[in-house]
Amino acid sequence: MASLSVSKTPPPASAAPRATPAGSTGSTRRGPRRRVREAVTAYAFLTPAVLLFLALGLYTLGYGLALSGATWNGFSPEWTWVGLDNYLDLLYRSPVYAPIVRSAALHTLVVMIAVPLLTVAISFPLAVLLNNAARLRTMMRTVFFLPYVTSGIAVYLAWQYVLRPDGGVNALLRALGLGTLAQPQGFLGNPATALPTVIVVMVWTAVPVGMLLYLTGLQSLDPAMLEAASLDGAGWWRTNMHIAWPLLRPITAAVILLNLREALQGFQTFLVMTGPEGAPGGKTNVLGLQAYHLAFLEQMQPTLGLASALGWLLFLIAILLAALNLRALRSTT
Amino acid sequence: MTTPTTTMTPSTAGGVPARVRPAHGRPRSGKPLLPRVIVYTLLLCYAVVSLFPFAWMVSGSLKSDQDMRDPGAFVPHHPTLEILTHTWSQLDFLSYFLNSLKVTGLTVLGVLVLYSLAAYAFGVLRFPGRTVLYRFFVALLFVPSVTVLLPIVLLENEAGLLGTHLGLILPLINGTAPLSILLLTTAMAGVPRELREAATMDGAGELRTFLQVYLPSIRPALVTVAMLTAIPTWNEYLLTRVSLTEPTAFTLPIALQNLTTSGVPQYNVLMAGALIVVLPVIILFTCLQRYFVNGLIGAVKG
Repeated sequence: MASLSVSKTPPPASAAPRATPAGSTGSTRRGPRRRVREAVTAYAFLTPAVLLFLALGLYTLGYGLALSGATWNGFSPEWTWVGLDNYLDLLYRSPVYAPIVRSAALHTLVVMIAVPLLTVAISFPLAVLLNNAARLRTMMRTVFFLPYVTSGIAVYLAWQYVLRPDGGVNALLRALGLGTLAQPQGFLGNPATALPTVIVVMVWTAVPVGMLLYLTGLQSLDPAMLEAASLDGAGWWRTNMHIAWPLLRPITAAVILLNLREALQGFQTFLVMTGPEGAPGGKTNVLGLQAYHLAFLEQMQPTLGLASALGWLLFLIAILLAALNLRALRSTT
Repeated sequence: MTTPTTTMTPSTAGGVPARVRPAHGRPRSGKPLLPRVIVYTLLLCYAVVSLFPFAWMVSGSLKSDQDMRDPGAFVPHHPTLEILTHTWSQLDFLSYFLNSLKVTGLTVLGVLVLYSLAAYAFGVLRFPGRTVLYRFFVALLFVPSVTVLLPIVLLENEAGLLGTHLGLILPLINGTAPLSILLLTTAMAGVPRELREAATMDGAGELRTFLQVYLPSIRPALVTVAMLTAIPTWNEYLLTRVSLTEPTAFTLPIALQNLTTSGVPQYNVLMAGALIVVLPVIILFTCLQRYFVNGLIGAVKG
């Protein structure tokens, strides 16, 4: 049974070191001096990583937290302390930012529901199919993996290109006789289709990893069990939906967690494909993009505190989700 | 319907008993669960979906300016390599390419050195505070990048690092800490303890054991971490966009972005640039995918 260390955060090496009973024989007995030396070595080995983290991680986290309680435009010498005002402004008080944040939150929520569900709904069947295909499996896996490997501005520009009014998707739809589905404004230009389109591209990027995780899970299942089920008269559908699917629940949990995290925090797809404003008309604005916008694209406006506060709100949601996911995982395994 | 001869309850919906009954109605056991034709047709369909934008990227990059007047045509009327070579030479893609290579290479190197050392401590050695420190590092996985992006830029601005390649490399290394430590520690902990004991008996110090026993044993995990670092770093856009201002320091994604901001986007030039960006990653992945996929699988199986 595949268990996922990614989401369980187990104490490392819990099995390995304790498997050697300390002091079973004279030669492996660990004296206090040796233990001290081991600890000193460990700290020495950890020093570079910890130093880098102290400089970049801890300092920036503290700095960001402090900034979230201030008003600053990035240039003036002084911060103005405002306490929790930034948070309250974002949540409900500011007539300018609160509505923007609310609509961005709504879009983010849609993305957080749609992307994980669609990713699971596509990658599980795909893994089942791939598992049934003995031939071409390696080649197919390479092809299916390309969207993940190349995810970045280059591929998003290619998507932009094919989604244009005179682009490849419309051309394909017309060629297939589905011209009514074609978007004369382009899929990203029509306010009604822009967000669903970006979601499709995000799912397209996320499917490879989901598929690989499911494929791994399927290959770790006991083939005799599936064989038995099929001999038992269970059809293809029942074998997969009633036997494989429940057994792979930890993998589903991991795929959902990975994509929830990406849906909540990732905004690169939105930035590249629909611009920093979330065009058209803010229809594709999400919380991450809004925070980026407040931080870097407001010119001289004193919005850096707001940007920090929004970043920390995202962090709180992420922690909450991780805790929920961990609990769900514990109750199913 | 024949009832089972044992005391087992008649099979209820959903609960398929996992035991072999005497086969009836199914003559042979090796029969595929789903006809091959359907399997391969569906797989092929998804392969088309996977390749769709890449195919158009290639088609676009081969189009002449004249062909761009008929953008809906997949096959260019007058295919030409001119746009590709033009984009490569005129726009100085070579120097951007080298910048990208430098940033990616040094980031991967830094990640491998720093976090395999840390992972050895976490996975092999025992010391006070191990569990707490490890959990702390892994928990950082949940810090959104946008939360730390602004403070990093402000900090680097004060330190004079903003706009330099080092100013990109250091945060990028630090950003991979949670996942790299997680994967490498799992791999380190999986190396048989006896190897270390044997090395100690031979008089090898901790550093030599690490270098000569552990690093070679976890090579698949190292490749996986290298790939998981190299791919996003090669494509990194968010931090790079707000920190690099000097055109000579630009990496490929930023150079590509610049092609879109200069007036009306010329998609044949854009797709040529995009192709130049993705090709190295595709080649690297195709060459290393066996290690990469196996390492990922090993890490997941835990």
